[in-house]
Amino acid sequence: MKNGVFIVLTVIISLYIFLEVRSKKFSIKESFYWMMAALLMLILAIFPYSIDTIAGWLNISYPPSLLFVFCILFLLFINFRNSKKISEMQERIVELEQNLTLVKAKQDKKK
Amino acid sequence: MKKEKVLVIIPAYNEAENIKKVIDEIKKDINFADILVINDCSKDNTLEVLEENNINYITNIYNMKYAMSIQTGIKYAKENDYDYVIQMDADGQHIAGEAKKLYEHMLRTNCDIVIGSRYLKDTGYPCPLFRRIGTKIFEVMIRLFCHKKIADPLSGFQCLNKKVIREYAKMGAYPEFPDANLIVEMLYKGYKIEEEPVKMRLRESGESMHGGIIKPIKYMINMFYTVCFIVIQNIGRKRVK
Repeated sequence: MKNGVFIVLTVIISLYIFLEVRSKKFSIKESFYWMMAALLMLILAIFPYSIDTIAGWLNISYPPSLLFVFCILFLLFINFRNSKKISEMQERIVELEQNLTLVKAKQDKKK
Repeated sequence: MKKEKVLVIIPAYNEAENIKKVIDEIKKDINFADILVINDCSKDNTLEVLEENNINYITNIYNMKYAMSIQTGIKYAKENDYDYVIQMDADGQHIAGEAKKLYEHMLRTNCDIVIGSRYLKDTGYPCPLFRRIGTKIFEVMIRLFCHKKIADPLSGFQCLNKKVIREYAKMGAYPEFPDANLIVEMLYKGYKIEEEPVKMRLRESGESMHGGIIKPIKYMINMFYTVCFIVIQNIGRKRVK
């Protein structure tokens, strides 16, 4: 029943993500990766020995370290994706500000 | 009697080769409608073609992609008090004469959305297998969850009435791909959606936004997940009739 804790935890995480999307604080698109991570956690909680099997395939002698590798890779991916989005948004904000300045200048000239 | 105002919105990205032909067709076949091209920061000379031919257009400040361009057009329609909006693609796939059929269907049945369907009747549209499978999956999902048969839920060729224009214009999170997901959401909200069989052509030139291998797979996963999410969100909620 040790896994029960992790199963409950996963369900709580999924429910939290779901409610955040439902209350429009989080987009459905952005929730995809977190839901997939929660689903993976759930699978690992239900079938804990699967991590040993995968570690065996990858020649990793200490299976729990594979979990850390997965977590780090996932967080790196999310972090990189967020950095990319921030860069895109910064560019867009500058573009919007410049356009707004030009529109304002046009309006001022008309006055 | 008040004359009904109809607006044809056409999002265009790098469609210099097709746009003139599309507009000429619309002017000929649905001459009662106004036209608005939403130029999504095209890199080719789409803008020059629009200016040379004196076509009504707006240019996005940055490349907003297809869905946001559509929503910009819908917001324009709302601001200018249009009664109906017809969404058409700029690549020449959608035929203006068929758009007239969508509009007439809407007037006849008084529904909220009319979708131009390639698969309701055999229209001879040569659909690639992958797309056909995708369409079938979403058709089954909509039938299962919303109890409505929509044979072509991935069609962007649609006619919307004023109620839907207002609803789409105020949507904060207008989806990146407004297809089956939006249909499911609108059905749950109680909007009346119908289909009209239409003919469509294959794109003559330019690049499709669903081209390649990765993009359609990503699209399918995204759409499947979104539809499932909307369905789960609406479990237990009473459907508006």
